[in-house]
Amino acid sequence: MAQAREEAGDSRLVSGRELSSHIIRVSVKTPQDCQEFMLAENSSVHHFKKQISKRLHCDTDRLVLIFTGKILRDQDILSQRGILDGTTVHLVVRTRLKGTLPGPGTLSGPAGHCMHRSEPSTSESAGMLARLGRLARSSPELADFLGQLAQLLMAAPDSVVQFLESPVVQGLANEKPANTSHTPKSSRLAQKPEPALKALETLHNPSRQQELLQEDKRGLEALKVVPGGDNAMRPVCSDIQQLMLFTLAPLVTSKGHSAGSELCKEVASAHIDTDTTATIPTALAPARPLAQKVRVGDVSQARCVASNQASSGCGTGVPDVNSSQDLLSQEIQQPVGTAPLTSQLRLSPSALRRALHDLQQNPALLHQLATGSPLRHHMPLLPILTNPRALQALIQIEKGLQTLSKEVPGLEPCLWGPGRSHGTREPPETRGGGQSQRVDSVQPTLAILQLLHALSNACSQSTQASLSSSLLIEGCYQQELEHLKAMGFANCDANLQALMATGGDIHAAIERLLGEPEAQVPPVDAHSGEGGKGRGTGGEGK
Amino acid sequence: MEPPNLYPVKLYVYDLSKGLARRLSPIMLGKQLEGIWHTSIVVHKDEFYFGVGGISSCPPGGTLLGPPDSVVDVGSTEVTEELFQEYLSSLRESLFRRESYNVFENNCNTFTNEVVQFLTGRKIPSYITDLPSEILSTPFGQALRTFLDPRIQPPEGSPVGPPNGQ
Repeated sequence: MAQAREEAGDSRLVSGRELSSHIIRVSVKTPQDCQEFMLAENSSVHHFKKQISKRLHCDTDRLVLIFTGKILRDQDILSQRGILDGTTVHLVVRTRLKGTLPGPGTLSGPAGHCMHRSEPSTSESAGMLARLGRLARSSPELADFLGQLAQLLMAAPDSVVQFLESPVVQGLANEKPANTSHTPKSSRLAQKPEPALKALETLHNPSRQQELLQEDKRGLEALKVVPGGDNAMRPVCSDIQQLMLFTLAPLVTSKGHSAGSELCKEVASAHIDTDTTATIPTALAPARPLAQKVRVGDVSQARCVASNQASSGCGTGVPDVNSSQDLLSQEIQQPVGTAPLTSQLRLSPSALRRALHDLQQNPALLHQLATGSPLRHHMPLLPILTNPRALQALIQIEKGLQTLSKEVPGLEPCLWGPGRSHGTREPPETRGGGQSQRVDSVQPTLAILQLLHALSNACSQSTQASLSSSLLIEGCYQQELEHLKAMGFANCDANLQALMATGGDIHAAIERLLGEPEAQVPPVDAHSGEGGKGRGTGGEGK
Repeated sequence: MEPPNLYPVKLYVYDLSKGLARRLSPIMLGKQLEGIWHTSIVVHKDEFYFGVGGISSCPPGGTLLGPPDSVVDVGSTEVTEELFQEYLSSLRESLFRRESYNVFENNCNTFTNEVVQFLTGRKIPSYITDLPSEILSTPFGQALRTFLDPRIQPPEGSPVGPPNGQ
């Protein structure tokens, strides 16, 4: 009668007294769909599962059949459980193998051995940060993340103790009252660090650790899956992660990597309110290479790596990464920008600003500086670079120099030869008399031109410069201006313009000045002013 | 082998109209409705429900609606919490995604009905599952549908007013 026929029998009995091969139609309902199976009503559940697994292409171990609220066991007979023709059986396909299930998941402590994620790292905290970043990127699932975080913590004991002591535990403890009412399991998180601490000393058996890790992960997975539990997890985990970053930042700092810790803090603060699982991978991604690279000291590489990480990061986190990337590049560019200069100068920008200010006020000083050592040529660089107006002036000068070199090709060797700062056109000693003044004025002029050219080369990134050109040129024609003033030409601007127009030739300048309308007439010499096309007197002496 | 644990399953029923439906439905719909029912499942010490935000959970009675208006005992289940969670996560990807909420055809009561059948093999009381069809069979309900059902576009320039039959 109740012979269990394994095969789906084909003989349908008329009388119904012998039920051995009665075929029934059973619907198997999954969350996705519903399928019908034909099989003998006294076949075992095991047989039923085999049929199901064939059609659904999955392992029988992962099938769980439920009928009227009861979980069907393999050895049960369908008819005994009340499964008749036309009934519906519910099916759940497990994502994990049933055999490894040790019971209700308890977060009883992290497993010790780091799996493939452990990598040698020179600095403990930076290495941990690196591993965290890698971990976060490779396991965006919250459960995995926390579970493997435990692994990491086991692998770095000192940092672990430090890390677990105040911030995380307190953070979790603060979260605990808010969350116990929400999901019962989230409170287990708070218990996690304490057994973790204990587990540090006790657990070293790899298999046991592996088992614990599995439990841990399963528990967390279950936690994650609770509808709404994920929402509960998010603030908890964002806090955890934030705390982690903040805690690790000082850890990293203590090893002397301030830039990395700064970045950690900035990244952490930048990501407080955003989606955690998408954020943390991207947040830690720039943090990781930066921490490593800063340690090595290769800042520019770090920027490149971080930008690579940023560009390859998660799509949802890209805007956040860009913002953090900006922070990153801002941080880095300053050291990079000032590195070449400071290596030469060893002066603070403020001191240099003061220097330039002094220079502007005292053109003679500029002379000396310009003719001084090559090192000093670069002194005004920084304040010029940081002062936008100065940079404007510099650009104009550079343009003027280019025009000049085109118009007067003879000047070119002087302009483009920074090494020959003392003038190559004529050695000053060979000149005499009236020319000496000119040469002298040319000397500083050339020197200034050298300086300006060096400056323009240094800021060749099209920064605008506008040094007070008149000041410089005034410095060039200092002596001539003094002469003119003594002669009675009180209008310094006009004097300067005349000098510029005549290239420092004081005689020609005076003629120019006299040739101007009455505005330029010096009050002392009345008749020289009326000369109109003044070509005579007043040129020579007082 | 130890006997499997049995977990009680309860159905929490809420009247969204807080009694107004009972009083106003004869006027507005032309038939008597006892309430606008919203249901949720309570099992494993958690309340599970389906809304516009997808499948959610909270402590029993922890929604904005407060305590339920009535509790129906639908039996017990052997389904463990873990298994239930897996089941819910599959539901989240299939039938009860966040965007698949439809106030008439795939609402909280649809979800509850599915889950109760999974857990215990029973269905929820029919007065709850019949509610959408009851409403839609009235002119007012049809008019209401244009506002509540996102799949239906309201016709242009047709003001909705109270039905003529007062």
